[in-house]
Amino acid sequence: MTMFHLARRQPWLITVLVFVILAIVNTILQPSFVDPTVMRSNLSTFLPLILVAIGQTYVILAGDIDLSVGSIVALVNVVTVTVITLLGGTLGAVFGGLAAGFCVGLLCGLINGFFISGLRFQPIVTTFATGIIFAGLAIWVLPQAGLPVPDAYWQTYTESLLGLPVVLLVLIFGAIFTLVVSRLPFHTRLIAVGGNRTGAFQSGLQLGGLRIGAYMISGAFASFAALCLTGETASGDPLLGASLALSSISAVVLGGTALAGGFGNATGSIVGALVLGMIGNVIFFAGLPFEYQTLVQGLIVLAALAGGVFVTRR
Amino acid sequence: MTNALEAVGITKTFGAVRALTDGRLTVARGEIHALLGANGCGKSTLCKIVAGAVAPTGGTVRMAGADVRFRSPRDAERAGVALFYQELSLIPQLSVCENIFLGRELKNGPFADRKAMKHRANDLIALFDGVCGTGLNADAVVGDLPPDQRQIVEILKVFAQDAKVMIMDEATAALDGRQSQRFFEILKAKKAEGVSTIMISHRLDEVFAVCDRITVMRNGVTITEMDTASTTRETVVHDMVGDVRAAAEKVDFIAGRAPSLTVENAFSASIRGVSLVAYPGEILGLAGLQGQGQSALLKGLFGSDPFTAGSIGFANGAVQIRRPSDAVMNGFAYVSGDRGRDSAFQGRSIFENIVAALMVQKRLKIIWPSQLKPQVNKVAEDLKTKFAGLDMPIGTLSGGNQQKIFIARWLATAPKLLLLDDPTKGIDLGAKADLFALMRQQADAGATIIFYSSEDSEIIDYADRVLVFNGGRISAELKGTDMTSVNITRAAYGDAA
Repeated sequence: MTMFHLARRQPWLITVLVFVILAIVNTILQPSFVDPTVMRSNLSTFLPLILVAIGQTYVILAGDIDLSVGSIVALVNVVTVTVITLLGGTLGAVFGGLAAGFCVGLLCGLINGFFISGLRFQPIVTTFATGIIFAGLAIWVLPQAGLPVPDAYWQTYTESLLGLPVVLLVLIFGAIFTLVVSRLPFHTRLIAVGGNRTGAFQSGLQLGGLRIGAYMISGAFASFAALCLTGETASGDPLLGASLALSSISAVVLGGTALAGGFGNATGSIVGALVLGMIGNVIFFAGLPFEYQTLVQGLIVLAALAGGVFVTRR
Repeated sequence: MTNALEAVGITKTFGAVRALTDGRLTVARGEIHALLGANGCGKSTLCKIVAGAVAPTGGTVRMAGADVRFRSPRDAERAGVALFYQELSLIPQLSVCENIFLGRELKNGPFADRKAMKHRANDLIALFDGVCGTGLNADAVVGDLPPDQRQIVEILKVFAQDAKVMIMDEATAALDGRQSQRFFEILKAKKAEGVSTIMISHRLDEVFAVCDRITVMRNGVTITEMDTASTTRETVVHDMVGDVRAAAEKVDFIAGRAPSLTVENAFSASIRGVSLVAYPGEILGLAGLQGQGQSALLKGLFGSDPFTAGSIGFANGAVQIRRPSDAVMNGFAYVSGDRGRDSAFQGRSIFENIVAALMVQKRLKIIWPSQLKPQVNKVAEDLKTKFAGLDMPIGTLSGGNQQKIFIARWLATAPKLLLLDDPTKGIDLGAKADLFALMRQQADAGATIIFYSSEDSEIIDYADRVLVFNGGRISAELKGTDMTSVNITRAAYGDAA
């Protein structure tokens, strides 16, 4: 297998290479980068985007898109902190809040999937609209930022469990999830739905169930991201996660998944999200103005799209 | 012995159209059964009913003697019926192995058992060992494969289901001679295991070489069921045709004229070496079973699906047609039978729908409706189109009147070569007669007209000469009194007249 073929079948390997280069550059600019505390703090900054990007991948693989993930993050965050407060802030209340938040995320995904797959609405406009609705609901639940969570919540999140930082455990969970799902028939079927919808239908696949399933995974991972963000901010904020939708799509594309669907995997999206995060780091420590961060991120996503066109064109 | 499959008195109506009035099909266990008939005779609909893809309006389907009622292809599959899809059901991005087992993955616990599937896929591929060419293996990505190998994968997908009854609708269309040969050897081996095959084919040679029994359909009715050994090609062709139609005496256009259009050795995805000439003032008909290259030829000439090889000469000069605008500049016009997909600007006015081609030809940048309207109005009225006003949306017209508008679109450009791709599909008889009168009028004015029709009677009645297509090639050229329905049908099934 030539390098070209490898790049065509596994384009995310290029992203891994870019990530390694960024990590080296970062270490030169900021020698403390390899320090465990710095790594942990970096990881907790990147984690929400990584999680949202994992969920987004499955939606994109099936040929759809989810623009509502940022609003789901906000809604899950405010529901979680509100439920914890209403239940009295005990340990049980924390678990109740987590469960409520997770269910809200799943429900948001189900709503998206129902409109798009059940009623055949356009994915882009539908999730744009539901995103506005979810954001509105978040403000309705908690009009102003506030409602601190019990100390146990954020302390656990920033501490270690079984000798490993919780944020690292969450990342490992995400990675294992993507690897397990890639071995399931579900993954192949999603690619079939995104690759050739008519062919998938003729092969007897249940298109509706598969697409709704993808949106529910996206909702679930948006809620994981929200719960992590809550551990980070230790309170509720209805305006959380506004930029996550487009960043997550960028991460998915960087991770080698075709935006049109039918090709890619979620493990690549983890690397894509890490690269996006690292770009910010490198620019900061290189002493460049903040504006360069968005510029460079934009250029890199464009390059990834161009690369995708280049490798698929024969 | 009970039959593997029995369909009795099957009827099917789509809206007001009766696709099947009395479909009957009896397939014994371990039998290769040919289902033959002209375009639109209902054979595909009958197959789809048997495979659960279409629900019958009435009638009974029995498998191994027991009544069955399939609500989905999945139901039929569980009962042991597998359907080969003519329009590929493959996913280009997935591997051969993943495609073969899509939706029927072998599992190891909750996980896809890739090793077992790969093993099984390689066993299946081995069936075509030596004839499938290089590069066909379980891990190959389907999108990278040539058409013949893709078709083999589609066939293997059917084999992988271990069905009791397989429906092979034109399964050999993209295969070469040796590949088809191997395919039939496999079918015969399966026959010995008790598996039955229903075969739709456009090659009578194949049918007589491979099939045990033949069912012939015509106009939605099963006409005859017979043993291949005790019948002849003549009988089969006559059963398909019914009343023999012959053309009226025609003017011989070829005598003493120079051709306007010459096509030499044209190739594309679905035509394999087509050469022809057409003359000014002539209506040249294209006939044959659907999808044998007729539309591909017209689309190639118009540049919407350009030829990959071959040359086109028009009006004494070589022309290059790479896209439709090249064709328009040369005075070519193309009208499709699939109005909704290929012609209509839905929701736009009749006026806008008519001027579309004129804009391209005249390179108009700005349109002044007041200047063009009188001209457009005249064209539309010449066609006897009934409409309330040029500003009405195109959707307010009936199918026949819409088609007249799309022809008007091209007449406005004064075309020298008019390409018509099954233009009368789904339009009423009155509008059809108007269309053919119009075609004749254009031909008399010196235009060259090539039209494909899925109805042989239209060709016989209105064409001056006919080319019959089979498997991407021209199998016969018929003119004068040779233009009979029997000769056309025979050539459509690959027998030279």
